[in-house]
Amino acid sequence: MNKPSRRGFLAAAGAGAAAVGAASVAPKAAAAARPDAGQPAVPRSGHTEPLVAYVRDAHTGEVAVLVGEQEVVVHDHDLAARIARVARSLPAS
Amino acid sequence: MSSHREAPEISKDPVADNTDVYAFVSPDRPDTVTLIANYIPLQKPDGGPNFYEFGDDVLYEIHVSNRGDARADVTYQFRFHTLIRNPNTFLYNTGPITSITDKAWNRPQFYSVTRVDRSGSSRTLASGLTVPPVNIGPRSTPDYASRYTSAAVHDLGGGRRVFAGQRAEGFFVDLGSIFDLGTLRPFQHLHLIPSADAVGVNGTQGLNVHTIALQVPITDLTRDGRRPSDVMSARSVIGAWASASRQRTKVHDSQTGRWSGHGPFQQVSRLGNPLFNEVIVPMSRKDRWNSVDPDDDKAFANCVLHPELAGLLPVLYPGVFPNLAGYKKPRADLAAVLLTGIPSGVVPGFQNFTGTVQADMLRLNVAVPPTDPAKANPLGLIGGDAAGFPNGRRVFDDVVTVELRAVAGATIPLVDKTFTPDAAAAAVQDGTSNTNAPYLSTFPYLGTPAGGFQTTPGTPAT
Repeated sequence: MNKPSRRGFLAAAGAGAAAVGAASVAPKAAAAARPDAGQPAVPRSGHTEPLVAYVRDAHTGEVAVLVGEQEVVVHDHDLAARIARVARSLPAS
Repeated sequence: MSSHREAPEISKDPVADNTDVYAFVSPDRPDTVTLIANYIPLQKPDGGPNFYEFGDDVLYEIHVSNRGDARADVTYQFRFHTLIRNPNTFLYNTGPITSITDKAWNRPQFYSVTRVDRSGSSRTLASGLTVPPVNIGPRSTPDYASRYTSAAVHDLGGGRRVFAGQRAEGFFVDLGSIFDLGTLRPFQHLHLIPSADAVGVNGTQGLNVHTIALQVPITDLTRDGRRPSDVMSARSVIGAWASASRQRTKVHDSQTGRWSGHGPFQQVSRLGNPLFNEVIVPMSRKDRWNSVDPDDDKAFANCVLHPELAGLLPVLYPGVFPNLAGYKKPRADLAAVLLTGIPSGVVPGFQNFTGTVQADMLRLNVAVPPTDPAKANPLGLIGGDAAGFPNGRRVFDDVVTVELRAVAGATIPLVDKTFTPDAAAAAVQDGTSNTNAPYLSTFPYLGTPAGGFQTTPGTPAT
């Protein structure tokens, strides 16, 4: 981790000038040296991560559960009704 | 334009806004096709300190259909990941960025490329690929053209290569005039609200975009895995489009101050032919159009057959388009160009017909050899150059002029010999040309992005 400093800026500027030739003659080498890139998040097994439950229609009990990059739609009257009760308990805005 | 801020919803989400798509047989490697998808429109080069970048939360895709049903047979997916090297500074870079791997770049991006076939099976072609920094200025990103571009062209093996990063806008159009009641400055003395004629003003001059460019062997994209040579064969034609998708919902985390996505990806932006959603689809349906796939475009066919713009031209330019004003038949010429491809028998020795499924795709006949760029006609097929738009689209093709003339009636005689185009149909243009950075002769073809330090802001005018 770089700590910004005047010395650092100037040193880096000098190093930059020296590195021009190296970069221009070996672009593929630079490209091949792939750094420590992380990869896109993928759903973890067990689904312990946060999720979103979207009550599409409390009357039909249709609830969409969004987790990771997946979605499952369930028809659960009890679940939808309990969530709807929570919503009804909120003060009117 | 061509799809910059073209729909109400996506205009509020520039990171996912697909601005242009190009597909052409590579002039310097004619056994390959180059596919380019641009995103993040109208980038002001000095827009720091949080400069433009791809979205880690966006799924970027380039699709190719090769079986005539407008469904994706090959999809390339691009996913990005951003690092913050030094969390204790506001600086994008803590010193000059001397290479694309320089640790002084505080916010580097990396990406993966995955190929998905029609069956849904996927293969990661590469990961951890480096995106170059944006062009900040001579102290931060010195010698931009020579230092970063070639280093960010990554070899994927088998003759495939990829680039993702900031480039100069390659599309040119007079944004200021066209959205001022369809003004075309070279002809504005003929406008309903007239003024003296003037030269066109390139509204994208000096602006940048973010480009995903992929170059693959033709054999990777054709239905039988061969490189066709017969222009008239259906197997020689592919359809291409690009998209961007976001997860279905996001939740703001007050602990981090950031959003987290949940659920499967839903398409929020799409683009095949330039200007399709922009000027063909009515405002109330543009967001819907962005969310569906090309094989659902039958629902929008009526917008092509009876384009609003063709009705506006005679109104905005009284007396200039009398024949167009009197033409009441469905525009089969535009349907051929935009929805099905041009069937054989319309243009001698050429076709890019993909079947009867009406779908907005950029159709490329890969058996048509590329034209030497020095001899290419930016007007493409209507200029006698079958290697250009609407046979695919090259970076330098003047698609605004081509589509203006087509809508104005210049292409009607291709399908209806009884129609005589107005004289203006062959002359209409917005008067612009590419005044951005020059195109490159090699991959990724789009020019060096304009630098923040080097760019002079526009002049206020009222």
